[in-house]
Amino acid sequence: MQNKDKAQKSSFKMFKTILFKDIKSEIRQINDLFSIFLFDIISVFIFSSVYSFSTEGQNMPLEIFVIEVWLIIFFTLIYLMSKLFVKEKESGTLGGLISSPISGNIILFSKIFYCLILLSFVEIILFLFSVFLSAPSIENLSLGQLMIFIGLGVLLPTLDLSICGSLVSAFSMYVKNKSFVLPILLFPLILPITTPIISLNIKILEGTLIYDLVYEIMFIIAHITLMISILALLSQTLLYD
Amino acid sequence: MVESKKELINCVNISKQFGYFFALKNINFKVRENIILGIAGANGAGKTTLMKILCGLITPTLGRISIKNMNYDDHSNIIKKLIGISTDESFLYEELTIFENLKFYDNLHQNFDLNSIKTKIEQFAKQFNLTEWINEPVENLSHGMKQKVELIRVFMHQPSILFLDEPFSGLDYSTTKLLIDSLNELRGKENVSIILTTHKTEILKQICDEILILKRGKINKSLTKEEYKEIQIESFF
Repeated sequence: MQNKDKAQKSSFKMFKTILFKDIKSEIRQINDLFSIFLFDIISVFIFSSVYSFSTEGQNMPLEIFVIEVWLIIFFTLIYLMSKLFVKEKESGTLGGLISSPISGNIILFSKIFYCLILLSFVEIILFLFSVFLSAPSIENLSLGQLMIFIGLGVLLPTLDLSICGSLVSAFSMYVKNKSFVLPILLFPLILPITTPIISLNIKILEGTLIYDLVYEIMFIIAHITLMISILALLSQTLLYD
Repeated sequence: MVESKKELINCVNISKQFGYFFALKNINFKVRENIILGIAGANGAGKTTLMKILCGLITPTLGRISIKNMNYDDHSNIIKKLIGISTDESFLYEELTIFENLKFYDNLHQNFDLNSIKTKIEQFAKQFNLTEWINEPVENLSHGMKQKVELIRVFMHQPSILFLDEPFSGLDYSTTKLLIDSLNELRGKENVSIILTTHKTEILKQICDEILILKRGKINKSLTKEEYKEIQIESFF
């Protein structure tokens, strides 16, 4: 029992070590992150301007606002995927990780969490700018609804996208033409959850009760479970040539 | 006396295929404890591929490897605790400092005691003349300095088997001498074995107990210290 506790503590410390190293590296190369923010802001600006021009300044309907934001998030994920395993492989540091006495699952889960942090950070900026620039018709959103929106509408799908992104990044790191393969592998994986994510967001922002969101939430949780199972089963195979 | 040393690594029928190309064909050899084994050969002979297979970085297409009677499939983490690896690729993160890199890799070998890590890094930095550069990002270092940091990374967790792929490349005269002395000192300690590749045959002759010469993915010649002294190693490349 004590040995098990010790092993768990040690695994958690390893997880933290890899995660903090990734965050530290990212902060030292902050320009990469700025270019992602710039891409998001310019996309929102173009989308909002085109809509505003074609409708002569009307507020953006909720459905279009949600689709706009998530479409930009999906494309941002492609950029972020190249920061996970692909970057480690290209810089040669993957060898250092896989030759260390740590389980493949710890490496994979630390990368998922790192992707989750990056994507959440991007989403905060994206939502703030899109609310300001697109002026969507959201009415009477209480604090409770806002918390439900952040937890279930944003964080849960972001976790799912982070898992898919890490899986694809690990799959494609040994492929020569990565920029071509990354989106081709990613889109079939995230396609089944696109509709539930958008539907969930619209319903929460419209003020629907949590009771009526069960199907969407269950679908996303099932997708997360499936992707995590694939990752855990393939962790050793994925990391080695 | 030599025969009493225990068997450390056993390679049986190792072959590695990349597409249609066989980088290694039916490699069989054994390494005993507490020796320095040199792997030599011309460019493209398969030295680095063999080294990466021995380290567990790539898997062989055919054959099996056992290290201390354990294989990578069943005892991967136990073996990885025992070994230290330096390959042709740098494992260092360019944007992190020397200290951060070395601390990171020592943490991965389950040492989380910051004081002991600091002490070890300071000692190695002094030994390799890197004290002034310890808080400098790796991207600002020269190739030779990076090679020194790589070697410190390998020595940090005190492995009992060292796999060093071209460890002398990019090193100046004094660091080459320092490394040769360090390797000889390590061999003096019980149970530390070193497997290295290099083109520099004069260094091989200086430090190796046995030399394995590869030619086009096959073992062309295996020489002991007594045998290689008299001959020109390059003639078997």
